[in-house]
Amino acid sequence: MFAYLARKIWRDFQGEILALPTRTILFAAAVALLLLPLVTDDAYLLRIVATASIFAVYAASWDLLVGFSGQTTLGHSLFFGIAAYTAALLNLRFGLPAFLTIPAGALAAVLAGLLLSLPALRVRGPYFSLASLAMPIILMGLIFSFPGLTGGEMGLSGISRLAGTRTGEYYFLLISMFVLTLLMWKIATSRTALIFHAIREDEIVVRVSGINTTYYKILVFCCSGFFAGMAGSLYAHFLRVVGPSTLDIMMSLQVIIWGIFGGVVTIYGPVVGVFILYPLLEYLRIIPDWRMLIFAGIVVVTLRFMPEGISNKFQDLLERQCPRCKERNIFMRKECRICCTDIGTCSRVG
Amino acid sequence: MAEDFLQVERLCKRFGGLHAVRDVSFSVGRHEMVGLIGPNGAGKTTLVRLLLGILRADSGRVLFRGQNLLGKKPWEIVSQGLALTFQNARPFARLPVIANVMVSCLSPRASKRGEWVKKIESRAMDALEFAGIADMAREPASCLSQGDLKRLEVARAIACEPDLLILDEPFGGLSPTETGLMAKSLRRLHKGGRFGRLHSEGPAMIIIEHKLSELMKIVDRVIVINFGELLAVGTPEEIVANPQVIEAYIGKEVD
Ligand SMILES: Nc1ncnc2c1ncn2[C@@H]1O[C@H](COP(=O)(O)OP(=O)(O)O)[C@@H](O)[C@H]1O
Ligand SMILES: [Mg+2]
Repeated sequence: MFAYLARKIWRDFQGEILALPTRTILFAAAVALLLLPLVTDDAYLLRIVATASIFAVYAASWDLLVGFSGQTTLGHSLFFGIAAYTAALLNLRFGLPAFLTIPAGALAAVLAGLLLSLPALRVRGPYFSLASLAMPIILMGLIFSFPGLTGGEMGLSGISRLAGTRTGEYYFLLISMFVLTLLMWKIATSRTALIFHAIREDEIVVRVSGINTTYYKILVFCCSGFFAGMAGSLYAHFLRVVGPSTLDIMMSLQVIIWGIFGGVVTIYGPVVGVFILYPLLEYLRIIPDWRMLIFAGIVVVTLRFMPEGISNKFQDLLERQCPRCKERNIFMRKECRICCTDIGTCSRVG
Repeated sequence: MAEDFLQVERLCKRFGGLHAVRDVSFSVGRHEMVGLIGPNGAGKTTLVRLLLGILRADSGRVLFRGQNLLGKKPWEIVSQGLALTFQNARPFARLPVIANVMVSCLSPRASKRGEWVKKIESRAMDALEFAGIADMAREPASCLSQGDLKRLEVARAIACEPDLLILDEPFGGLSPTETGLMAKSLRRLHKGGRFGRLHSEGPAMIIIEHKLSELMKIVDRVIVINFGELLAVGTPEEIVANPQVIEAYIGKEVD
C-alpha cells in the first residue's frame, strides 16, 4: 500500500515536474530555499528571502488581476496596505493573535477589492487605471487624518511576531508563499480563469457569450485582494512595523516592474521576478549612490532582450511546444512526450 | 404563433442627430428563418445590438416569449435564448480556438442544457465541428483566416444553445463555395436534430447579409430596412420584385 502510493507520487513527480526543465528548475529552487537555513545562519540573507516570499505572493496576486484579467490597476498597494494596517490595528488595539489577524487583514483587502471593482465596472482602460491610482492615496489621507488611531506618519510598531525564532519565521513565510502561490496557480489554470482571460481580450464578447461579467470582475478583484491582503498581513507581522510606505505609490509601481520582468500571465513569472530583483536591490545597498541607476539599467537591459519576461524567455529556450497537442517538451526531444508527433524541426514556443 | 416568440415594437435609437433605428416593428416566429437586409449604414447592426442589449434603445419594446428584453444585460438576454455573431469577427485572439467556444459553454444556459455531455471541451468541440474548424481547435485564434473567424463566430454563438440565432453577415469574407457550405449548414441547423453529440431543436434565425442571392435561397421571409426605417417585409420573391427595395439598393433614377 505504502509502496504503491510512493510509486504513484514518484510517477506523477516524473511526469509533471521532471519532464519539463523549467518546472525542474523551480522545484530545485524551492528545495534550495527550504534547505537554506541549514547551510547558513546569515540573518541578513534569511531576512531577504523571507521578505521576498511576502512580495512574491503580492506580485503573483497582481498578475491574477492585471495579467490574467487585464484590469490594469495602478493602486495594487491598496490591498497590501489595508491588510497590513488591519492586521496591525487588530493585533495592537485588541491583542488578537497572528492566526486571527492575518485572515482578518486578508478579509479587509477582499472588501477593498469589492470597493475597487466599482470603478472597474464603470470605466475601462486608462480611466480605470487613474481611478485605481487614487484609491491608496485616499486611504493614506485617512490614515494621516486619524494619527491617534493609525500612528499617522510614524506608523504602528510593536506588532507581535509570527514565530518564536528567526528560522521559524523563515519557514512560516516560505511555506505560506508556496501554499498561496500554488493556490493562485490552481485558480489561474481553472475554468474560471478562462473567463478572466476572455474578459481581458474582449469584455463585450464575453457578455454576449452569456457570461455575467459583473460577477466575474468582482470575483477577480476579491481573489486578487485576498492574496495581496495575505501578503500585507504577513508583512505587518514579519516587519512588526506598519507605516504609510505600505500604501505608497512605489509599492504599486514596484509590483509592475517585478511582474513584467518575471513574465506576466503565468503566476510563477512575477514570483521569479521578485526573487531575482528584490535581493538584487537589497545587495546593491553596498554601493548606495549607484544603487537605483544600476538596478534600472539591469531591468531595462533585461527587458530589451527578453520583452516577454525572464521566465517566458527561459521557457522558450528550454522547451518546445508540440505543434499538434500543444503540450510542452524539453528542447532535446525529437518527438512529443504525449502524442509522439515529430517536433524535431518545428519552431519554439511563442 | 409569431407574436409569442420575438416581437419588436417601435424600436428607436439615435446617435446624436443620427436616427440609426427609427420606429422599427417586426416579429419573428419560433420556426422562422428571416433575412434582414438593407444598404450599408441602414442600421442593421445597430438593430441587432439593441436586441442583444449591447446598446441601450431610446424607446420601443422588444418582447421575447412575452418578456421585455429592453434594459436587460446581454448575458440575461443570452440566458433567455438569444445569441449573436459579430459582423467584424471578434475572437479572443490570444486564446486557443477551442477556448473561445468554451467561454460560451460555461454560460449558465449552455451548462444547464447540455448536462448529459459532461466535459465542456467535448461540447465546444462539437460546436467547432459543426462550424467546420475542429482541426484548428488548439491553434490560437489569431492564426485563423477571415473565413475561419466567421465560422468561429458561428461556433461561439451556437455553443450558447440559442432559440433565436442572429447572424450579422455570416458569409462576409467567405469564398462562393464556402458561402454555399455555410448556407447549407445554417439551413441544417435551423431544421434541428443531432450533430454529433450536439442536439439542437433548431433555432429560429435572423440573418443579416449582403450576398442576396445566397440569402434568398435559404430564408422564409425578408425584412428590409433603409435609413433606420422599415421599408418592406415579405417573402424573398416579393422582396426582389419590390420597386422600393430595388430603388434603395441601386438608387433612384434621375430624370
Ligand atoms: N456607436 C456608434 N456611434 C455613432 N454612430 C454609429 C454607431 N454605430 C453605428 N453608427 C451609425 O449608425 C448607422 C447605422 O450603422 P450600422 O447599424 O452599422 O449599419 P449596417 O450594419 O446596416 O451597415 C451608420 O450611419 C453608422 O455610422
Ligand atoms: Mg452592419
